[in-house]
Amino acid sequence: MEKISQSVVKKDHAPKISGRSIYVADYPSEGVLCGKILHSKVARARIKGVDVPELPEGYFYVDARDVPGDNNVNIVLDDTPVFCRETVEYIGEPIAMICGPDPAKVEEIRDACIVNYEELEPVLDFRSADEKFFDYNFGHGDVDKAFKEADKVYEEEFETGYQEQGYLETQGMMAEPEEGGRMFVHGSAQCAYYIHGAVKRVLGCDSDGVHILQDVTGGGFGGKEAFPSILGCEVAVAARKCNKPVRCVFDRREDMEYTSKRHPSLCHYKAAVKDGRVTALDIDVKFNAGAYSTLSAVVLQRGIIASPGIYNVPNVRVHGWAVKTNTTPCGAYRGFGGPQTFFAIEMLMDHIAADLGKDSLEFKEAHLVKEGDVTSTNGKYHFPVPVKDMIEEIDKACDYRKKRAEYKKPQSGRYRRGIGMSMYFHGAGFTGSGERDLIKAVAKLRKYKDGRVEVLASNGEIGQGVRTTFPKIVANELDIPLDRVFYDHPDTARVPDSGPTVASRSLMVVGELLRRAAIKLKEQWADGEEQEVEERFKEPDFLIPFYLDKFEGDAYPTYAWAVNAIELEIDTYTGRAKVLGAYGNFDVGTPADYNIVLGQMEGGFLQGIGYASIEKMEYDNKGRIRNNSYSDYLMPTTKDVPNLKCMLHVEKYPEGPYGAKGAGELPLVGATSAYLEAVEQALGGVKLNHAPFTAEDTLAVIEKEGV
Amino acid sequence: MVNGYIARSLTEALKIRAEKDVVPYAGGTDLMVENRKDVEYLFINKVPELKKISVDDEYVRIGAGVTFTEALENNDVPELMKEAVSRIAAPAIRNAGTFGGNLGNGSAKADSVLIEFVTDSKLCLASEKGERIVDVDKFYLGRKKLDLKSDELIKEILIPKKGIDNYSYEKVGGRNALAISRISFAGVFGTENGRIVKAAAAFGAVSDTVLRFKDIEEKLIGKTIDEAKAIKDEYLKAYAERMVLTRGRVSAEYRKSVCMNLLKEFLSKNGI
Repeated sequence: MEKISQSVVKKDHAPKISGRSIYVADYPSEGVLCGKILHSKVARARIKGVDVPELPEGYFYVDARDVPGDNNVNIVLDDTPVFCRETVEYIGEPIAMICGPDPAKVEEIRDACIVNYEELEPVLDFRSADEKFFDYNFGHGDVDKAFKEADKVYEEEFETGYQEQGYLETQGMMAEPEEGGRMFVHGSAQCAYYIHGAVKRVLGCDSDGVHILQDVTGGGFGGKEAFPSILGCEVAVAARKCNKPVRCVFDRREDMEYTSKRHPSLCHYKAAVKDGRVTALDIDVKFNAGAYSTLSAVVLQRGIIASPGIYNVPNVRVHGWAVKTNTTPCGAYRGFGGPQTFFAIEMLMDHIAADLGKDSLEFKEAHLVKEGDVTSTNGKYHFPVPVKDMIEEIDKACDYRKKRAEYKKPQSGRYRRGIGMSMYFHGAGFTGSGERDLIKAVAKLRKYKDGRVEVLASNGEIGQGVRTTFPKIVANELDIPLDRVFYDHPDTARVPDSGPTVASRSLMVVGELLRRAAIKLKEQWADGEEQEVEERFKEPDFLIPFYLDKFEGDAYPTYAWAVNAIELEIDTYTGRAKVLGAYGNFDVGTPADYNIVLGQMEGGFLQGIGYASIEKMEYDNKGRIRNNSYSDYLMPTTKDVPNLKCMLHVEKYPEGPYGAKGAGELPLVGATSAYLEAVEQALGGVKLNHAPFTAEDTLAVIEKEGV
Repeated sequence: MVNGYIARSLTEALKIRAEKDVVPYAGGTDLMVENRKDVEYLFINKVPELKKISVDDEYVRIGAGVTFTEALENNDVPELMKEAVSRIAAPAIRNAGTFGGNLGNGSAKADSVLIEFVTDSKLCLASEKGERIVDVDKFYLGRKKLDLKSDELIKEILIPKKGIDNYSYEKVGGRNALAISRISFAGVFGTENGRIVKAAAAFGAVSDTVLRFKDIEEKLIGKTIDEAKAIKDEYLKAYAERMVLTRGRVSAEYRKSVCMNLLKEFLSKNGI
């Protein structure tokens, strides 16, 4: 194991494990107003007015009229209002915020507000929804010709549902007016500078008029990429009006119903097969964006770029669209569009293989991309593709091929077994030219007179370990003890913008800037002096420039690769599946810390198994999300997959620190198809095409197919 | 702010129960989640009389304040009860949750209650006026409705000692731990001199209360296994007709399919 990979105790371990960390809800309440949101109770309506009860001294009603600047939250587009405009577009949309010293009184006032709705017909059926927020087309080769010349054409639709991030700490933000009119906003978040950009626009102030601190954050998984910008704007507007600190912390029910989750998808695939090979794919990917566009553009981009999977198909046509429905806006969740399309392509390949009388694995292997091949966007796989080796490693770990052959034989009795495999990538870092054109990351190191070194960057610790791995990189280059290097939670008033904590980019992109900065600092090191060095992002030379208008070029500089196998046993009397083993082989390049990375892989893989099996969330015919508590929305525990084995395959990325690539999202992306392939086999070779695939779904198939 | 009374003896608990409008609070695993405002609790987790497990000629008597963990560590508690209790939630909840609370919460999903139904257990209810014994199925009047007077406390659960060794138990939860039952099944079967003397089948979490149809069970009583086989279809049809289930986190149809599958498995396990 490389020196950098050797595990250390995480820097935030002691305060978190001992309960001493201060989260946004933990700051003393004295002098702080409690803010509670008046949410829309209907999916679509014109607001004719709100009857607000008489407010006691010290209580405030805050709505769109109180926004000093622009009532739009900057995310990708600016269509999300801080507080609703003339209409509300989903159940839960913020109409106003009630603020006051006593939370119970605030709640009482909020509940006594009478909103006069003129109800409008909402769009709730995602399948028939056609108002497009985004509409992309791209491809390569001659798809029509390939279909004309095909021996056989396959057509299938795949569907996936919501997935809730399920972070332990709910959304919470706090705003405090400071002397001189500056606004201080802090809370549970991933992207301090996103909030900074959003709040300054809403308050109508310049960059110095507001600063953002990421508090200790109890998990994000993407759920705190964009939403804290919205809530941050709301508390900032409220604090401006009340001229007092205002804090708003969601309860679990609000959080589950009204904050972003993974986009439900409908993926329609058509494949041409000639001489036993897939020669063309015609793909239509539709995402349910919800009521506002938030992050749907970028989630969709990542999803459709991955839609042909990791297979070399010469002719590809992709259409992707994100449609509006009057439901909670969807957003970022670990994997970011990838889990939906990788599920579709993996199942499609599996089904074509079955039809051709071949095993899924053999069929997929015959189509695998390799170094030098063209990507779906006419970019290039610049580095070795280690998937074949990774398959062999998985096979060795769980005897995959033997079991696959064994379980293929007719089974009888109450319990039936199956095993399935998936293979996929996660593009490391921002999609397209985002790093170069939008983020332009800057990171700094500050050395103090006593020789301690501080990392100055804006990437937030959300459990993924950056407070530890960033200092590890710096300490390693400077050759000083780890306890001499520290990285605090970022405050935009004192750290440069090294970009958001998203896209599995922090370690690979910012970690490399810090490594270079450390080399620079070492060269200039002068004992007893305060010194500062800075490093700026530079696009790697080898990249084929990406053009978003044409979806052409390298969408990612490199890829993290994975192979998953899942073995399970179905109880044909109850439909329940018992996971006998889940095996994940992940290539995230050089791990910056073995335990941290392995923890990430295990957690993400388990989230993926939850997405595949039990995590079901739906809205009713009014547009209300029904699964709004942890007893109605179950996520797996370690008891569900006790035999979870993760391993790391290292294919180094020369531009990442010590060869590291993006890691955080990879483990979640491909579990679904491995799981469903296993279910299919256990049920005697049926074809399945939706996830989550629950015990109830399984029993329905058993009864229908007479398994 | 929680208001309430801490009782140190059963006499004291019954006195408070009679005089005040209180909610009995044993382990609190349901009540803590409910977090009701403006109620007064009677904390009975320190009442020694409710913490005992004893055995007499006919019954294993489990005090209402006995926790699931305590039952699992006891040698007298029947295996069937232990199996059901071992699947409740997770260790932390089993350390706090009690038999009395499982009953008092009134839910058809209560895992220990299913076992009390299938074993024809009785409950001892106490008040200052005295004690009375009720059959568990008579105790449940409907969804969340119990035959428990405002001055009464559940004192003990009386599980018959004999005739419950040959059992089946199945819990279908949403996951393997920390899961509320979506369907649960328990069956107890017995023969004497080649004839069936017991064929109890109880279904939990599928209706307002635990379901048990003793009149259908009667069809098998006194029959030989071969005779039982001959009327198996009729027996299953009777169940299918009577089983009108509610939907919850899963559909009523799914629940019914699973119940019928588990019932068939129970029969076939016993040679029918």
